Amino acid sequence: MSIYEEPAMPAGIVHTDVADLESGDVIIPLWRQRLQIFFHNKLAIVSVMFLLAIVGFCYVGPLLYHTNQTDQASALNAVWNGPPSMHHWLGTDSSGFDELGRIMYGGEYSLSLGILAGFITIVVGTIYGMVSGFIGGALDTILMRLLDALLSIPLLFLLITLIAVFTRSTVFLIVIIGVTGWFANARIIRGDALLIKKLEYSQAAYAMGASRIHIIRRHVFPNSMSNIVTVATFSVADAILFLSTLGFLGLGIPAPQTDWGTMMQNGAAQQPNGYWWEIYPTAFFFVLVIVAITYVGEALRDAFEVRLLER
Amino acid sequence: MFTYVLRRLVQSFIVLLIVMLITFTLPYFEPNGILAPAYIVLGSHISPHAVHVWGVQNGMFHPYYVRFWNYLDQVFIHFNLGVSYKQNLSVWGIISLYVPRTIWLALSSLILTVVIAIPLGIYQASRRNSVVDYVATGTAFILYGIPAFLLGILMLQFFSFSWTHLPAQPPDGVAPWAMFTNPLGFILPVMTLTLLSIAFLSRFMRSAVLEVLVQDYVRTAKAKGCSSRQVLFRHSFRNALGPIVIILGLYLPGLLGGAVVIESVFNYSGLGIQLVTAATSLDVPTVLGITLLVSILTLLGNLLADIMLGIVNPRIRVEGSGR
Repeated sequence: MSIYEEPAMPAGIVHTDVADLESGDVIIPLWRQRLQIFFHNKLAIVSVMFLLAIVGFCYVGPLLYHTNQTDQASALNAVWNGPPSMHHWLGTDSSGFDELGRIMYGGEYSLSLGILAGFITIVVGTIYGMVSGFIGGALDTILMRLLDALLSIPLLFLLITLIAVFTRSTVFLIVIIGVTGWFANARIIRGDALLIKKLEYSQAAYAMGASRIHIIRRHVFPNSMSNIVTVATFSVADAILFLSTLGFLGLGIPAPQTDWGTMMQNGAAQQPNGYWWEIYPTAFFFVLVIVAITYVGEALRDAFEVRLLER
Repeated sequence: MFTYVLRRLVQSFIVLLIVMLITFTLPYFEPNGILAPAYIVLGSHISPHAVHVWGVQNGMFHPYYVRFWNYLDQVFIHFNLGVSYKQNLSVWGIISLYVPRTIWLALSSLILTVVIAIPLGIYQASRRNSVVDYVATGTAFILYGIPAFLLGILMLQFFSFSWTHLPAQPPDGVAPWAMFTNPLGFILPVMTLTLLSIAFLSRFMRSAVLEVLVQDYVRTAKAKGCSSRQVLFRHSFRNALGPIVIILGLYLPGLLGGAVVIESVFNYSGLGIQLVTAATSLDVPTVLGITLLVSILTLLGNLLADIMLGIVNPRIRVEGSGR
């Protein structure tokens, strides 16, 4: 379940400037109008900048701030649970790894896993939803009942069962989160495909003898692109959340690799001792990243909202 | 109405069969096949012969479809979910011990959520862009970014370790009445679960009411002189209820899923923890039993939502029975 299942807000944002920008007879292309609406949203720009900064922090940071993150033996010789100091800016964790470096290192895994798993969910969900909605008939009924069945198993239960059954690895986690995350997406895309199939331009194309593949490729897919992009954004946030929850349940990325969820789990164990640096910095980054991704998704949805466009 | 409900029941049953097929097939994909649990039940260095005997005893060597048929027969004809591989209990015994505990947690937070989130959402919609609206929306956004376990940990830190000293753990003990020995212990887990659901539901309610407020019949109602309160409650609220009812039905699996995490943060042995331990120790009958039960609950929730929707919105009822 996530926020994206709510209906679009009616004309929620002020967009008078967009109308002002449209001067006289010049027709502004649709995508540029959308970009303008998106960039009119100041908070969305801040979110995008923040996400870019975090990506830089996680991937470029380790080049500037050298720490040992993979050698468990030498980490155990370092100070455990050390408070922040000049040598370790955010202290060390219970295994002796530098906390700030660990946040970068774990962030690499959380972000890349989230993006890849989110990508899988959107690809599978789009194909499934398109086929089901567009072809319709008996196939649609079968595919939708199958989807009902998959949706009625709580996602976390399904994930836990699957992960317990197989041996864990990074690639496996990506695949498994991707493969279990597309159900809701497929439903949304199917709704789109059903709608667009009935619209005049698809009907016209059909009447002119266009093949189904052609209609999907030239009409249904481009016109449901807005939903696909929006849903993809939320999928990435959901994938990162799921990964962190798995990490918390001890089913995340195996040591010495780590992700933000596993780090928070380790930090939570040390929290009653007052070692705040082991959980709060990670939690701070984590929550802000999720909030930023979600906000970008909301802003994208507003940008794609047809009712806000000047046409 | 009757045919509508019957139709939905039959559909739900088919969905349930598919769920059973999926969960039943999953163990076949284990690296060691369906004999893998033998190594957990009997120990990791047992002889291949012992594994074979265990397989024969548990009917593992029948063809796939025979095994599935036997499983269906066992569940639907004999109402027998099997015996746990790991615990000395029948699966039904495990379920009857832990289900009341999970339901109690999920239900109390669901009721609190509905009582708080729906009025909050209506208020936000009627006072759009007010300070309250901004604060509530911002809070909901941040709460959405906080994973359930992190919120639980923060709750523990602030309300159990520092500011107040609420009990950090609900009463444990598997007797049904043990839940009521220390009601204070439920405050934190229920509060955590409720906060997360409110963040989700109030936003949904807000946009549902907003969606209705721009409809023509609301304008007509205003034009014929209804007070804004009448418009809000007589016209908008009733029509916004539809989406909310659907969402509540769909939200049930999410609530149970969230309960897994809450149970493990607050160390409250319920269905979720049982499932996690059963899954990690390849206790297949227990996993199948619990998944089946949760799916039934979910499907019932969806069914209930559909029926309620039929009551709230007569157009759907007619449409459903007409087909």
